[in-house]
Amino acid sequence: MKSDFKKKIERSNKISKAVISFGGYGVIFSIIGIFLFLLYETIPLFYGAEIDTALSFKLSKKKHVVLSGVDQYKELSYLISNNGEIDFFNLKEKRITKKDTLPLAANEIITTGVRNSNGDISLGTDKGRILFFNLNLKPVFTGSQRRIVPQLELKKSFRSDVENPADNNGIKILAFSENDDGVLYWAWVNAEDKLLLKIYDPDEEEYFDFSLSDNLENVNVTALALNPDQESLIAGDDKGELYLFDLSDHSEPDLLDNWKAADFKITSLSFLIGNNTLIVGDKNGNVTSWFEAREKGSDELKYREVHTFKKMDSEIVNVVPSPRNRLFLVIGKNGKVELNYSTTGNTELEFSENKSRVLSASFAPKADGIFVVNSKNEVSLFKLDDEHPDVSWKTLFGKVWYEGYPGPAFVWQSTGGTDSFESKFSLIPLIFGTLKGTFYAMIFAIPIALFGAIYVSQFAPKRFAKIIKPTVEIMAALPSVVIGFLAGLYFSPLFEHHLMLIFLLSVLAPALFLILISFWGMIPERKRRTLPAYYELGFVLFVMAAVYYFSSIVSLPLEKIFFNGDLKQWLYSSLNVSYDQRNSLVVGFALGFAVIPIIFTITEDALSNVPASLSSASLALGASKWQTVKRVILPAAAGGIFAGVMLGLGRAIGETMIVLMATGNTPIMDLSPFDGFRAMSANIAVEIPEAPVDGSLYRVLFLTALLLLVFTFIINSFATYIGDKLRKKYARY
Amino acid sequence: MNVDIGNAVRKNEEAETSEERIVLETKDLNFYYTPEVKTLKNINISIPEKKVTAFIGPSGCGKSTLLRCFNRMNDLIPGVKLEGKIEIDGQDIYSPEVNLEDLRKKVGMVFQKSNPFPMDIWENVAFGPKVNGVTDKVELEELVVSSLKQADLWREVKDRLKTSALDLSGGQQQRLCIARALANKPEIILMDEPASALDPISTNKIEETIEELRANYTIIIVTHNMQQAARVSDYTAFLMTGDLVEFNSTSTLFTNPDEKLTEDYITGRFG
Repeated sequence: MKSDFKKKIERSNKISKAVISFGGYGVIFSIIGIFLFLLYETIPLFYGAEIDTALSFKLSKKKHVVLSGVDQYKELSYLISNNGEIDFFNLKEKRITKKDTLPLAANEIITTGVRNSNGDISLGTDKGRILFFNLNLKPVFTGSQRRIVPQLELKKSFRSDVENPADNNGIKILAFSENDDGVLYWAWVNAEDKLLLKIYDPDEEEYFDFSLSDNLENVNVTALALNPDQESLIAGDDKGELYLFDLSDHSEPDLLDNWKAADFKITSLSFLIGNNTLIVGDKNGNVTSWFEAREKGSDELKYREVHTFKKMDSEIVNVVPSPRNRLFLVIGKNGKVELNYSTTGNTELEFSENKSRVLSASFAPKADGIFVVNSKNEVSLFKLDDEHPDVSWKTLFGKVWYEGYPGPAFVWQSTGGTDSFESKFSLIPLIFGTLKGTFYAMIFAIPIALFGAIYVSQFAPKRFAKIIKPTVEIMAALPSVVIGFLAGLYFSPLFEHHLMLIFLLSVLAPALFLILISFWGMIPERKRRTLPAYYELGFVLFVMAAVYYFSSIVSLPLEKIFFNGDLKQWLYSSLNVSYDQRNSLVVGFALGFAVIPIIFTITEDALSNVPASLSSASLALGASKWQTVKRVILPAAAGGIFAGVMLGLGRAIGETMIVLMATGNTPIMDLSPFDGFRAMSANIAVEIPEAPVDGSLYRVLFLTALLLLVFTFIINSFATYIGDKLRKKYARY
Repeated sequence: MNVDIGNAVRKNEEAETSEERIVLETKDLNFYYTPEVKTLKNINISIPEKKVTAFIGPSGCGKSTLLRCFNRMNDLIPGVKLEGKIEIDGQDIYSPEVNLEDLRKKVGMVFQKSNPFPMDIWENVAFGPKVNGVTDKVELEELVVSSLKQADLWREVKDRLKTSALDLSGGQQQRLCIARALANKPEIILMDEPASALDPISTNKIEETIEELRANYTIIIVTHNMQQAARVSDYTAFLMTGDLVEFNSTSTLFTNPDEKLTEDYITGRFG
């Protein structure tokens, strides 16, 4: 019997031990699991670019390829040779599936070619002709079968030099572009080194021809780039100078500006996607990027040098922009190719074409491949793996000079209206926002929670304490969405309308309190002793009501007298402080409301747990109640109080709904309490619908989550550590 | 040796009883924890100055309650009621004019369980003078040193004044609490079973300390250890169920008590 009983006890001991251990370890493992998962989703952001040869073959017939490209599935490529032949080479079957020929005259040779992202191609010949046609590689689906069908449509063919047709005005350099309104631009340099321009205006169905060389005396143009969005032309010369022409008036191009961009002959010019950033390559291998930006203190937009890229050891022969992002290829004369990212100035990778010149290089339409034809008649398709060139430690945590900004800055702007929009992923404004919200919440919450806890645990009559503590704890149970909703939709406008009153209250309430407390002190002690405890509370409530009543009476007249009747306006005009309706004060108030119960409860427990023997000892030594609290009870409870504050801090940092609803979610970095902010937690909630799976934003949001986890982990660990230390020091009773 | 000398002195003093000044006097003292429970009944007792007075009696007799009335520590308990008068130096300590802090400075207290503050030794002793407004460093230092010496702790702690008081042994902690009370320069020291949680050696130390303090302070000690009362006190009060049964010189009370009840108690017939 007895041994049965003992066995039973043993068994239940074992079971409970197992269950409890499982629970404990389970918690630890799930935290580690979450951490690892976040890390797993985040890490690919920091992978560098990788390139793999997917395919490489040698053309059987010698060809001089001037232009080439592949379709979006990287199945069909086209090769345009200088004799006008177009070969469509199927990369899967490794054979030419179709041939076409451009209508060239006898012995006419293509000297230069440009293709834009629509598939419009312009070619220039040595006989001074420009061919304009469209070449698209369209996927056609028959059932589950996919076939890429090339479509070729000749649009225009014209003599480049209408006024003076001659045989020697062949085209040396050609630039072509088309804007959203269908205006076509061609700019070229002919054999006589003349810079010529042709504009086709679809509204008037008319061509305009200009010679720009009159504007450029003694200038030897060596590179051209057209900007269809800004309707401008940039020409580079052999001395490293750039010339900017305004083409917006189709009947009168105008030389706007010229400046020195390099020390050597400019050999390559190209605009990147979005047509803001200009890449300049020179004869000496220097590559720089430029865009229009305002100088500090000036309203004038000017091209400014932004980045200098890794230097090539040979002349830059071509710059090829990516159709998807701000990656671009720089091709050196010696066959070296660099892949750069313009925003960061980083060189993502480089590779070399075995000592042969690159005749033509292009990105696959999804920027996931690079197609290269070299002078040895070798054709290569590289698989490019650079998912997140826009994210690096520098873009996340450093100042980055984005297009159009006056200088490097911390910017968060994840999505924009156009395809060419560049996401800006600086976490600094978000971290700043989190800290700002936390700061305002804590300066609001800490005093109220601490003094409240001290009052309830040390001074309040037991009857009050019994009501107050559970009430405050109910505050903690209030869903944060309710607090956020109230703060965002009710308190924000209320604050705004009664700004003066709020200010008055925050100044007058403590001041009047101090004054009236001295009146309280004037009541003789023996009288005070006999007063029931709720007189104290009544006194406080009376003072509160009085302050509110007084403030509400005087606030309007005061605002009239001192601030011309509108404090908000006055703040803006006199102090240059703008007032957002959903600002940090409102958030501090609302977030503080969520934090107060946490700090209060833990602090109250810590204070109440200080053994009575300590306070008795202090009181018996003639210390007053307040001296006892200050000198004995507060130090003894310091560990618990600290833990409470830290837990509150952790809550404030991780809180989402309140900051989401009560701030404007503007990712700005401004200390002003009247501005909103965007916190990390709210950012995740805001951006989730915008983030495609495995995209940069998606991973950056995971990184934000990871950061939040690390933040709260550090704070809680720190709290535990310091709390333990304080407990060891003060709380060994 | 000490005890012998003490006895001798005591006998000598007994002769002068009539000339003793009364420092503390209760008049018809009734005390209620709740309106129904009368813990002290009609207590009239006069405590002579610079003597050691012991309160003995079985558990729950009200001896600690009586002691705590003298520095109004019972005020902290909600719902208590006190009737009658307690006068110290002729002043009713329950009158509204009395400043509670001043009273407690004058009437120091040592508790049953040692309760040093979680501070260093020096800060513990200086606590009382500091909260009572002593700011002068030199004065504080003097008070700390002299109090520690009076409490017979100086030799043991003089090299470690800045270490936590909680690192001291139980007996040392209790003597620190005595030193802490002494630093306030009290007239009366209340001791509520100061040695009940200590081992015999520490107890002996505490008793020696009391022996040394008796010349300068009025000491009222509550103890449930009758030998201790016999050893350290000049006068002994025997309380039972809230009544003051007998108050007499210690030698009389233990050798020839006036009351039958006292005799029964000291001879161990009950309690």
